[in-house]
Amino acid sequence: MAQPNGTATGTTTPGEAPSTVVGINFGNSFASIAENQAECIANEDGERQIACAVSFFGEEVYIGNQAKPQLVKNAANTIVGFRNLLGKKFSDIPVDQSTTSAPVIKHPESDLPAYEVTVLVPAPAPIAAPKSSVNTPAASIAPTPRSEPIEQKRILTVPEVTTMFLQTLLQSAEDFLGKKVDGAVIAVPTWFEDSARDALVEAAHAAGIKVLQLLDEAGAASVFITEPRPAVTGATILESDRTSLILDVGASSVTLSLLAIREGLAYSLGSSHDTSVGGNAIDDRLIHWFAKEFTKKTKTPISVLPSPTVADARAEAKLRIAVEHTKRTLSASPGAASCSVESLKDGIDFTGTINRLRFDVEMKPLYHKIGHAIKAVLAQCQVDPVFVDEVVFVGSTAALPGLRDSVALEFPETTEVSGNGDDPSQIIARGAALQARLIASISAAEDASTSLHVAFEKGSDLINVTATQKPLGILFPGPDEENKGPWLTIIAADTPIPALRKVTFDVDPSHLEGSEKILAFEVWEAKDDVDVELIKFEKVDDADDDEEEEEDEPAESRTKKTTPETYLASVSFPLKSPTKTQVSVEFLVEKSGEIKVTAAEVTAPTELHYLTIPST
Amino acid sequence: MVSVSESPVVLPRLPTDWKPREPSGKSISAPKTGKLLPAGSAYLAHARRTIFNRTHHEDNILEEENRKKNEELNGGVIEDDLGVGDEEEGPELAMLDPKEWKKQDHYTVLGLSALRYKATQDQIKIAHRKKVLKHHPDKKAGQAGDSNDDAFFKCIQKAHEVLSNPERRRQFDSVDPYFQILEDDLPTASSLSKASPQEFFDAFREVFERESRFSIRQPVPLLGEIDDSKETVEAFYDFWYNFDSWRSFEYHDKEVNEGSDSRDDKRYTEKKNKSERARLKKEDNVRVRSIVDLALSVDPRIKRIKQEEKAAREAKKKNKVNGAVGGAAALKAKQEEEKKKAEEEAKKKEEEDKAAKADAKKAKAAAANAAKKARRAQRAQEEGTA
Repeated sequence: MAQPNGTATGTTTPGEAPSTVVGINFGNSFASIAENQAECIANEDGERQIACAVSFFGEEVYIGNQAKPQLVKNAANTIVGFRNLLGKKFSDIPVDQSTTSAPVIKHPESDLPAYEVTVLVPAPAPIAAPKSSVNTPAASIAPTPRSEPIEQKRILTVPEVTTMFLQTLLQSAEDFLGKKVDGAVIAVPTWFEDSARDALVEAAHAAGIKVLQLLDEAGAASVFITEPRPAVTGATILESDRTSLILDVGASSVTLSLLAIREGLAYSLGSSHDTSVGGNAIDDRLIHWFAKEFTKKTKTPISVLPSPTVADARAEAKLRIAVEHTKRTLSASPGAASCSVESLKDGIDFTGTINRLRFDVEMKPLYHKIGHAIKAVLAQCQVDPVFVDEVVFVGSTAALPGLRDSVALEFPETTEVSGNGDDPSQIIARGAALQARLIASISAAEDASTSLHVAFEKGSDLINVTATQKPLGILFPGPDEENKGPWLTIIAADTPIPALRKVTFDVDPSHLEGSEKILAFEVWEAKDDVDVELIKFEKVDDADDDEEEEEDEPAESRTKKTTPETYLASVSFPLKSPTKTQVSVEFLVEKSGEIKVTAAEVTAPTELHYLTIPST
Repeated sequence: MVSVSESPVVLPRLPTDWKPREPSGKSISAPKTGKLLPAGSAYLAHARRTIFNRTHHEDNILEEENRKKNEELNGGVIEDDLGVGDEEEGPELAMLDPKEWKKQDHYTVLGLSALRYKATQDQIKIAHRKKVLKHHPDKKAGQAGDSNDDAFFKCIQKAHEVLSNPERRRQFDSVDPYFQILEDDLPTASSLSKASPQEFFDAFREVFERESRFSIRQPVPLLGEIDDSKETVEAFYDFWYNFDSWRSFEYHDKEVNEGSDSRDDKRYTEKKNKSERARLKKEDNVRVRSIVDLALSVDPRIKRIKQEEKAAREAKKKNKVNGAVGGAAALKAKQEEEKKKAEEEAKKKEEEDKAAKADAKKAKAAAANAAKKARRAQRAQEEGTA
C-alpha cells in the first residue's frame, strides 16, 4: 500500500541515537522546532518562526503564519495567545483585555477558558428516500435537503487548540526530516505553573508527541551555550566557569535568568519575569507611530489602541502585520525600514519609513524598562554587573540592535554581549533539541543508565544542590607579609558541590630561592569584590571654548577583584625537576564541605602531595 | 570531564627564611542550597554521579571507557587498510610533473613502494583513496596557493590509471625503475670466485627471488640451501635455463606523434617499437641466462655434489681393491674394467687413427709442397732457358 511521504521510518546507523528527537520552543506568539542542525526546521511556507495562531475560515483551518492575516477580516474566528492560558481556569483570567482576535469565553460546561468560532461543516448526506416498488422515489412532503455546508458554532478549549497547533508543528518537522519524530523536549517559561505544564504534556500527547522533558527556557538556553559545538570564527571563547544572564525578550514578556554556569552545570541564581515589555509592546509603539504618520500625511483620522470602530480595528490589525516586517528589517540592516499597508483606512494606501535612530528613540522607554529589570534581578541576586561574564540574548525581539546597545550600557566592557553571532530566535529550540538528543542517548544505552531518566523528570530531587558561597583558591607567598604573591581562583563562588577542578601553571625553579627549590602555596577562601576606581577626565583648557562648563564628574571604572579572606592551610614541597616545569593543583570539594587538595608536578604525576581541609 | 585550565601565573621569589604556615584549622563557609537547571550533559554527569554514587574520578574513567566502546561500535575505529599504511612523501614527490608520468614511479606516488608488484588490487584501491583524500584539489582550496599540488593530484590519478589496469600494470612492472637499479647491481664472477657458500647464497637469493616474479610458470623453484639434494639443484637449474618470462617492454615504446595521421609515420614507429621490444626481450633473456650461468659456475652445491660423487667412486674403488666383494661384483668390476680397457683401447686407437690421419695429412701437404716447389723450379728453369 502506498504511504504518504514522511511515514517511513528512517534508517538508523548503529551508535547514532536511534531515534529522531526534536526540540520545540513553544512560545505564546511564535514557536520554532529544531533538530540537531545549525538552523531551526522550516515549515512548508519556509518559515522558521511559526506564529502561534489558528484561524477558522469557512471550511478551512489556517494554522501558523497563514492564520495571521486572518486577523484583519476574520478576527473573530482567529485564535492567538492561547499558550499562556494553558492549565488556567476561566475565573483566573483577567477579563480586561480588549483583543482583536477571538475572545476567550467560559466553556459552557466547566470553568475552563475556551474559544467560540464559526465554522462551516459539510451538509449531511441527503436522506435516502424509501424506495417504492416501481423504483422511483416516493413522493415526500419533506423539503429537499440542503447541499451547501452548514454554518455551525464550534467551541474549542485551550488544550484542543494547542493540540491542533502542535500537530501541525510535528507534521512540518516530519515532512522536513523525512523521518518520524520519536520524542521532543518542549521549552516552557520558568513561571509556568504545574497545572499548565500538565495541560501542555497532555495536549502534546494528544498531538502524538512523546514529551521527553519540559525544559525551562533558561535551561534550553544554557544547554545551547554550554554544549560543545563547532567554533564560530571570531567568536569569543568564554571560560567554562562563568556567570551568564539569559535575557529572553519574547513577544509578550521579558524573562531574565541569572545563571552561574560551572563547567556546564547551570546553577540558578535568580530570575524575573515582566509582562509589560516585549515584542508586542514594541509593535504597539510602532503602530502608534505609523498611525500618527498616516494621519499627518493623509489627514484621515485613525485611532488605534484602543480602536473604537471596526475600520480602526482593521487598520490596527493591518499595521500589526506590517510592522512585523519593519522590525525584521531594522534588526537585519542598518538602514531605514519601511512599512507599507494597502488601503489602511478609507481606501488610502500607506507607506512610511522609520530609521534606526528614530526607532531607538521611540523605543527608549521600553529599553529603559528592560534595563531596570536587569538591574532589579542583579540587585535581587546581589550580583554586581561586573561579575556577569556574558549576556545571552534570546527571542526574536532581542535581535534589535538598539536593544543590545542599551543593554550593553548596563555592563562593563568585560561582559560579552555580542551573542557570538547566534540567531537569538533559534537558541531555545536548538538548545531543546540538544537536550532531546541527550535524553535520547541515555535511552539508547542498554545498561543501568536508563535509570538516569529520573533526573529529567518533573520535580527531580537531583536539581537541589548545595554550592560554595565564596571562591576558593591558592595564594602564593611573597617576599613578606605585605607583598603576597599572585592569587589563583580554583573553585569559583556558587559552584555546586561536590566539585572538582584542576589548574596547571608553569614554575621556573631557577626563580625560587634556596637549595631545595621549594614550591609553596596557601589555600584561602576569598571574597569577590568590586574595585571601584574613579577616573578623572583631563580638563581641556581651550581659550576659544564657548561651550558650557566641562563635566567635572569623574567616571567610575569598576573591575572585579578577589581578595583572600580566610587562610585555611598551606602546601609546600621540593620540586624534582631542575628546569622549567608545570605543576598541577587539583581541588575536590566534597558535599560535606571538606576540601582535598592534590598537587603534583606534571613530569612526575605519581608523586602527589595531599592536603585535606576538614569541614566544620 | 575535568577540564584542566592553564593559568599564566608568575611566581614571586620566596624569601630564604620562609617557613610553611600551620593550617588555621578553619574550614570554608557553610555551603548554600540552591537549584540547578536540569539541562545539559554536565547535569547528566551530575545525575550519574549522584544516582550511582560515584566520585568525579570514577565517573570520568567509566565515561571514557563508555565513549571508547561506543566509538568502536560506531566503526569509529580506522577501517582495515590491508597493510597499506601511510608512507612518508618525500620532497621529490611534490616536484613531479604529470606530463612526465612515464618516468614517475607509480608505486611511490601511491605510497606503495614497500609492496610494489606484490600489492593487490584492493590495496591499490585503498592507497589511491587515501592519497585522493589527502591531495584532492578541493581539499587544498583556500590554502595558500601552491599550484603544484594540483600537479601531484594528476600524478596520483595517472598512477592509479596505470596500476588499476592489469595489462598496463604488467607493462609497468616489467620495467619498474626500482628493480632496474637493483638489476644493474649484480654479483660478478670475480667477486664470487673465492666466496664462501654463505656469501653465494646471500648474493643470489635475492636475485632469483626478484627474477622469479617474471615467470609465467609459478611457483618458481628458488635458490634453496647448501644441503639440497642433487635432484633439487638440477631441477632448479633446469627450470632457470628454460625460464619462461612474461616480461615485456611496451612501456618504453615511443609514442606516435600526436596529431600526425600519417600512416607511414605510424607504421614506421610501430615497426621500430616492435624491433626495440624484441631487442630488449632478447637482451633480457641473455641477462637471465648469464645470471644462471654465473650462479652455476660458482654454486658451492655443484662442487659439493661433484665431490660427493667422486668420493662415492673412490669408495667403490676402495671396496674393489679390498676384494671384500662377492663374485658377481668382482665379475662386474672385471667387466667394467674390460669395458674401460676396451674404451681406452678404442680411444687409443682413435687417437692413433687421428695421429695417423694427421701424419697422412702432413705428408700430403709436404708432398703438395714439394710438388709445388718442383713446379716452380721447373718454371724458373724454363724461363731461364727461354
